[in-house]
Amino acid sequence: MTASRGITLSLLLSVAASIGLVVIYLVNGGPQVEAIFLALALGGFGTAIIIWAVALLDAPTESEARHSLASSAEARAAADEALAPQQISRRRFLIRLLAGAGAALAAALVLPAFSLGPTPGQDLFRTAWRKGRRVVDGDGHPVRPGDLPLNSVRTVFPEGFVGRPDSQTLLIKVRPADLKLPDGRNAWAPEGALAYSKVCTHAGCPVGLYRAKQHQLLCPCHQSTFDVLDGATVVFGPAARPLPQLPMEVDADGYLVALGDFPQPIGPGFWDMTQAQPSEKV
Amino acid sequence: MVLLGSAAALALVPSALAVPADRQPATPAIAADLASDAATGRALYLAHCQTCHGPDGQGTATAPTLVGVGAASADFELRTGRMPFAGPTGSQPVRKPPAFDDVSIQALVAYVASLGPGPAIPSPVLDPAQISNGQRLFVENCAPCHGVTANGGAVGGGALAPPLDKATAVQVAEAMIIGPGQMPVFSGIVDTDRNAIVSYVEYLRGAPNPGGFSIGGIGPVPEGYAAWILGLGLLVIIIVVIGRDWKGAPE
Amino acid sequence: MLTWIDDRLGTASWARTGLRKIFPDHWSFLLGEVALFCLVVLVATGVYLTLFYVPDGTEVTYAGPWAPLQGQQVSAAFNSVLRLSFEVRAGLVMRQIHHWAALIFVAAIAIHVMRVFFTGAFRKPRELNWLVGIGLLTMALAMGITGYSLPDDLISGTGLRIIYSVVISIPFVGPYLGFLLFGGEFPTKEIISRLFVFHVMLLPALLIGGVLTHLAILWIQKHTQYRISGATEHNVVGKSFWPSQVFKSTGLAILTAAVLALMGGLVQINPVWSYGPFDATTVSAPAQPDWYVGWLEGSLRLFPPVEITIFGVTIPSPFIPGVLIPGLLFTVLALWPFLEARVTGDRMEHNLLDRPYEHPMRTSLGVAGLLIFIVYTIGGGNDVISLVLGVPVETMTNILRVAIFAVPILGFVISYRICVELRDRGGGVMHRGPGIRLRRNAQGGFEEVDGEP
Repeated sequence: MTASRGITLSLLLSVAASIGLVVIYLVNGGPQVEAIFLALALGGFGTAIIIWAVALLDAPTESEARHSLASSAEARAAADEALAPQQISRRRFLIRLLAGAGAALAAALVLPAFSLGPTPGQDLFRTAWRKGRRVVDGDGHPVRPGDLPLNSVRTVFPEGFVGRPDSQTLLIKVRPADLKLPDGRNAWAPEGALAYSKVCTHAGCPVGLYRAKQHQLLCPCHQSTFDVLDGATVVFGPAARPLPQLPMEVDADGYLVALGDFPQPIGPGFWDMTQAQPSEKV
Repeated sequence: MVLLGSAAALALVPSALAVPADRQPATPAIAADLASDAATGRALYLAHCQTCHGPDGQGTATAPTLVGVGAASADFELRTGRMPFAGPTGSQPVRKPPAFDDVSIQALVAYVASLGPGPAIPSPVLDPAQISNGQRLFVENCAPCHGVTANGGAVGGGALAPPLDKATAVQVAEAMIIGPGQMPVFSGIVDTDRNAIVSYVEYLRGAPNPGGFSIGGIGPVPEGYAAWILGLGLLVIIIVVIGRDWKGAPE
Repeated sequence: MLTWIDDRLGTASWARTGLRKIFPDHWSFLLGEVALFCLVVLVATGVYLTLFYVPDGTEVTYAGPWAPLQGQQVSAAFNSVLRLSFEVRAGLVMRQIHHWAALIFVAAIAIHVMRVFFTGAFRKPRELNWLVGIGLLTMALAMGITGYSLPDDLISGTGLRIIYSVVISIPFVGPYLGFLLFGGEFPTKEIISRLFVFHVMLLPALLIGGVLTHLAILWIQKHTQYRISGATEHNVVGKSFWPSQVFKSTGLAILTAAVLALMGGLVQINPVWSYGPFDATTVSAPAQPDWYVGWLEGSLRLFPPVEITIFGVTIPSPFIPGVLIPGLLFTVLALWPFLEARVTGDRMEHNLLDRPYEHPMRTSLGVAGLLIFIVYTIGGGNDVISLVLGVPVETMTNILRVAIFAVPILGFVISYRICVELRDRGGGVMHRGPGIRLRRNAQGGFEEVDGEP
C-alpha cells in the first residue's frame, strides 16, 4: 500500500465517521456509539497526517548550531548600565523605605482574604449534644435501650439536630457484662447501650463499619480500628486517640438522653486542641 | 408420680415448639407436615451437623449454639451454602452451591426452628417505587461495608462483606435480621424500610452502566489501572510508531 | 494573505528561522507532547462542561430520570452533573472524556518527568524549566483534586473531609486556615463554588501560563538530544520544525484525542449517580481518590498512630504524613538540579543526554524516589487489594509499612549495581541516526558531512 493510498483511505474513513456522528447526534445514540465514531473520525484524520509526515514529506535529518545562550560581556555591561542609573542606585535609604512600605502595603491588601470564613472560636470543641437532649435516630424517633437488638448499630443524633455532621453518633448494643470501659464509664452505657462519636479521630471520615462479633469499629478511609468494649481505644491503624464516648442515661420515660456533650473534642486533632474550654462537661 | 407427671410435661414441650411461633397452621394437616419436617430435619442434622454444633444444637468449641437462632438463620445459612462449613477453621464462611435440596433444607430449617424461639423467615415485598428510599437507606446502613454498588468490601479483621449480586430478596432480608458473621444485627429496621432496601439491592443486580464497561464497579483504583494500561499504553505505542525511522537508509 | 500579515507584524523574518528550527527526533521526546494534547482536550471538554455545571452547594430535589435518586435532596452541583450525564445529548461522553483525559494527563506528565530525570535533561541551562515543570505537575494535581470534587458526590466529599482535616492539623494556623478555605466548619456549602473558581479560573490561568513559559524556554534553549552519530554539545541534529515536526505533532494531537474519545464512551468512569450525593454522616467503602492522589492516601494510611508532643504542644497525626512528607518529597524533587549540581560540582552546560546507567547515583536515587511513590500508591489502595486478593487488610498495611523503607533501599542497591555493571561494560553510540548528514553553515546554506565527527 502506498502512502497516498493509505492517506486517502484514512481520510475517507474519517469523513464517513464524521457524517455518522451527525446521524448519531440526531438520534441520540448514546455515549458508546458517540465515542466509537468520534474516535474513528479523529483517528482517521490523525493517521492520515502521520502517514503524510513519515512517508510523503521530504524531511532529511539536519544539523543546526547551538549558539551560546549567555549574552556577551559588553551586552551585559550595557544592560547593567541601563538598569541602574545613579538616581535610583545611590538612594539606599529611600530604597529601603520603599521596600518596607511595599511590604506593609502587601500585608494590608491581604486583609480582605480574612472575610472568607469565620474564626473557629469554640466550634471545633463543641457539638450539639447537651445535658438532657434525647438520643434520636435518623427519622427523629427517640430510642429505648431495651428496644435495641444485641449487636446492632445505628447512627443517632441529638433531638432537633438530626443530620448535623459534628454530632453524628454511633449507638451500639452490647452485653453489659462484656463492657470493659475505663474510669467508671460503664454508667454512661445504660443496659449495654453504648454511644461513640462517629467522626474518626484520624482524618474525620464517618466510622461506618462495625464488626459486630469482634466488637470493633473500622473506619474505611485509613483503616483505623476501635475496640467498642474498651472505650473505643485504637487497636489498629493511624488514629492516635479513641473515639469520644457520649455519656448517656435513661430518662423518666425510658428513653436515652445525653448527660452532656462529649468530654473531648470530636474528630481529628487540630492545633491547640488540649486547651481548656468553657463548654459544659459531665 | 412426680416423675411420670414431669415426663408427660416434657413430652408436651417439643410438640408445642415444633410449630414456629409466627407460622400459625391453617389446618392440622400442615401442623403434622411441620412436625414431620422437624423429625426429618433432626435425622439430617444428626448426619451432617452435630459434629460441630453438638447432638442437640447447643454448640461446641468449634461452632455456636443453634438454640434460638430461628428459621431465618438456618434458611439463610443453608440456602446460601455457607453451611455446611467447608473452609479452614476460623475463616469466614463463604457462599457456595447449597449442599442440600429444597426439601431437605425445609426439614433442617423446621428442626432448627424447633430448638428455640427465634426469627422467622421474612417475606419481603419488592416495590420499584421504593428504590429511591432504598438507595438512601442502603447508603446509610449497608454501603460502608458492602460498597455503594454492593460489590463487596474488605472490612478488616479477616472478614469480607460479600458482593450482593447473588443474594435473593429473602436472603438479603434474612441477613438484616440475623446479622450473620461479623455483620451487625439490623432487625430494628421497620418492615417498610427493609422492603425498600431489599428492592434497591434487587435493582442493583441488573443496574445499567450508562458510561460503558464498569471495570468492577469499585471506584477509582481500577480506573487508574485502565488509564495507565489502556490509555497511556495506547499512546506510548502511537508515539513509538510516530518516532520510528520509516525511511531507513538514504536512497 | 501572508503578505498582509507580514506588513503589519513582520512575521516573515521570524518564519525564516523559526520554521527551519531543528528538533531532535526520538519517540521519548513526544511524551511531553502527549501531556500537552491531553491538556488541550481537557480545556476543550472543560469549557463545554462549564456551560452546564452549576457551582452551587445549595440543596435541590432531584427530579431527573435516574430512578434510584428521584425525590432525594442533592446539591445543585450534583444535580447539574446528573442532568449533564442523562439529559444532555453527548453530555456523558464529554464528561467521561474530560475525566479520562485528566487521569492520563497526569500519567503522561509522570512518565515525561521520569524521562527528563533519568537522562539528566534538567542540568544547566534547563534548571529553570525543570522548576516550571514541577510547578506544572503540582498544578495538575490541584486541578485534578478540585475537578473531581465538583460533582459533590459521596466519595469526593469524603476526600474533601480528609483534606480539611489535614489543613486543620497544621500547627498555629490550621483551624483558621481550614475555616477560611472552607468558609466555616466542615461541611460547608461554600466550598463547591470556591473549588469551581480555582478549577475554572485561577489554576487554568497559572497552568496555561506555565505551559507557555515551559515551551518558550524550550524554544529558546533548543531541545536536548541523545548521543546519536553527528550529535555534539554544540549542535542539534534532527528534523525541521516545518513541515516534519508540525505534521507529526498535529497528528499526535489528533490521535491523542482519538484515544481519549474511545475511552470516554467505552469505559465508565466516576459514575457519581451510583455513589449518590455527599452526606457527611455516611461513607462508602472502598474509599479512594483518583490514582494520582493515591500516594497521599497511602502516606496517611501507613503512618503509625503517633501524635508527637514538642515543647508542650501536640502535633496532630495527619500533619506529618499529610503535609510534611509530601512537602519534603516535592521540595527535593523541585530542587534536584541544584542539589545534584552542588554535589557533583558540575557547572557546565549540557545539551547531550545521558544514558541512565552513566550516573548510577542519580539513577538509583531516582529509582528509590519513584519506589517511594509507588509503594505509597499501593498503600492507598490496600483495601481494594485486600478485597481482590483475599489478603487481610491489616496484613497488607503491615507489609507496606515495612516495604516503604525496604523497597526503596533495595531498589537503590539493585539499580546501582546494574548501572555500574552496564557502565563498566562500556557503550558506543546510543542510537544510529537515519538519513544523510547535513550541516547548516554560517551563511545559511547546507553542506554534507562525511564520516563520524
